Amino acid sequence: MTLTLMLCLLATLVPVFFSRVSAAPVWLSVQALALGWITLNQHHSLSLHAAFAGIEVLLVRALLVPYLLRSAMAGQGHAQVSLMPSNLFAGGIAVALIIFAFKFGDGARADVRALTLGVVASTVVMAFLILATNPHKMAQLVALLFMENALALFESLMPEPWPLPVHLAISAVYILTMALGAWLVADTQAVEGDLAPALEELA
Amino acid sequence: MSTRSVQPALALAPASEAGRAPDGAQDSGRFILPGMVAAALLIWLACMATFLLLPLDRLPLYFAARYLVLDATSLLFVLVINTVFLGISVYMFSRGRATQELTRELRRRALWSSLFMLVMNIGILSNHLILQWALIEVTTACAVMMMVRGRHGAPKAVAWRYMLYSSMTLAISFLGFMCLSQSAHLRDLHLHFHLDQLAGALTREKDPWQRLGLAFILFGLGGKLGLAPLYSWLPETYEAAPTSTSALLASVQFNISVVALFRVLQAFQGVEPGFVSQELMLMGYASLVVAAIQIMATRNYKRLIAYACISSSGVIALGLSVGQAAAYGVVLYIVSNAFVKSLLFITAGRMRAVYGSNDVTTLAGVIRVLPFAGMLFAGGIFALLGFPPFASFLAEMLILSGIVQAGNLLAFTLMCVMLTIIFVATGRRIFPMLWGTPLEVREPMKESKLSIIPKLGFVAVLTMLGTYTPQVVTQLLSAVARSIGGT
Repeated sequence: MTLTLMLCLLATLVPVFFSRVSAAPVWLSVQALALGWITLNQHHSLSLHAAFAGIEVLLVRALLVPYLLRSAMAGQGHAQVSLMPSNLFAGGIAVALIIFAFKFGDGARADVRALTLGVVASTVVMAFLILATNPHKMAQLVALLFMENALALFESLMPEPWPLPVHLAISAVYILTMALGAWLVADTQAVEGDLAPALEELA
Repeated sequence: MSTRSVQPALALAPASEAGRAPDGAQDSGRFILPGMVAAALLIWLACMATFLLLPLDRLPLYFAARYLVLDATSLLFVLVINTVFLGISVYMFSRGRATQELTRELRRRALWSSLFMLVMNIGILSNHLILQWALIEVTTACAVMMMVRGRHGAPKAVAWRYMLYSSMTLAISFLGFMCLSQSAHLRDLHLHFHLDQLAGALTREKDPWQRLGLAFILFGLGGKLGLAPLYSWLPETYEAAPTSTSALLASVQFNISVVALFRVLQAFQGVEPGFVSQELMLMGYASLVVAAIQIMATRNYKRLIAYACISSSGVIALGLSVGQAAAYGVVLYIVSNAFVKSLLFITAGRMRAVYGSNDVTTLAGVIRVLPFAGMLFAGGIFALLGFPPFASFLAEMLILSGIVQAGNLLAFTLMCVMLTIIFVATGRRIFPMLWGTPLEVREPMKESKLSIIPKLGFVAVLTMLGTYTPQVVTQLLSAVARSIGGT
């Protein structure tokens, strides 16, 4: 569990600091694989419900949505920009926020629970930081997807998995965010694409 | 001054693909708009029948494996949103009949509106906080699909920002749920997100996790309601969206966020009352100040209505912050606001269709050209500003009296000052638009009776709620007020 959570955390932090938007689908898949593993293993016995939830996480979050995101990025010049602007100020704030996020999880009694809270909180604050610092809509869409993955990880803190209707509704939200976001971004980024070099310089 | 006959702005616009007159291939969709009206009417009749025939003491009723609940809160809001939707659907139908160029576009919008309403009804009836949260997100997606159909500004860019804000505010609420779960865990309790079991996992003692969770939830839902500081999505969204969509957002989606807020307040009754009060009061005042400043600055009547919606959210937050004394007034205010906003937006839609502008100066003397629309818009503005005989007058009086009863005279003074500024600023913009000297002389224009019917219906409901409220309605409003701590 701890290793999987660390993998989930790395799949958030590495792209934020070192990756370009174009690599985000891979990192989303890694996050989802970790999430799927946690979902399948969070209870002592593998129930039909947990199996369905795990498979649904793997299919939707690890395969479908990253595939859709990659397709949406195809041929987009400004998918080559950094996910978070690579400057000392943004980096400093990001590190401070990650420390703060793990302090947030310190109140938990169990180590795994504290780590899970820290991972969820740091993923959400990183998503907010990307939204605040990156003017590119595709990067903002990736931030939204990171945020929704973090919210899905919250389920692992519950003693029982969420009921099926809740699972389905949350997955529907994830797919809708991706599909609508990609559609809206594709139409508005033609203009943005012309401004990409200038925006990159400003960032 | 030149004289010219009024031509609908759409008729002057070049025919777009979406604006072509229906041909043979599109005839299969000719039942969509009447079908939507028929479905809205049937659902409204079902809601009315449930309301009139089901005694309140038999509520709550649980169904769908306890995922849905019919209690006073869900009954009231299902009734309100379906009444509003009936009016909006008749308006859309009348627009489709009057402007052939819009028919195809309106059919698409009608399909999305119907899906939006379906999800909205399930969301309001939801008995599970996370499920309700997810359904609010799904309604946002439906709203995006309706919003991108706008013909003014850059609707897709606005829709994107709306989606971003919505996701962010809901994520903040979700963080709140996580903190509540953590609070319960530390007390060896399991937090069920079923609304009827939520209160059992809360503690009346001071608990930082619980307080943090509550703060996040109120802040996030406040953003969804357009409360400051997370309000900036609202004016541009309401302005850029087609008017029927603006009406649905302001009168229907607003109410599902109110229901979510009520559910949280119902669970937190007697828990952290001072903290809830302070947070709501802070957001309420900030919203009133923002609205007052922006209304003074704007020259765009759709934006003005949007800022008035922010001020209404502020009044609701202030009323809720007072608690029991103002609870009935708050519920009445929310119900009346749903009808006021719908009335204003669909009337504004008529004016924009004729003038092709949102600028108050262009529309100077509109009441001479569009007498019915102008009068109804004036009525809506008076209702918005809290004039008698409309329900908003009674509701505002009850809220103010509740604030006085709670002994918060500073809050009372500040609210009165802000509402006076908003009243003067709105009057200075809107009254010249209605009765001022026109820039061009235009012939009075005929308005279809069908388009006037829903607006008159809204005025009738507002007047009824403000003058003579039937006993059954009062009982329902009181039951909802009691559920959030009212007396």
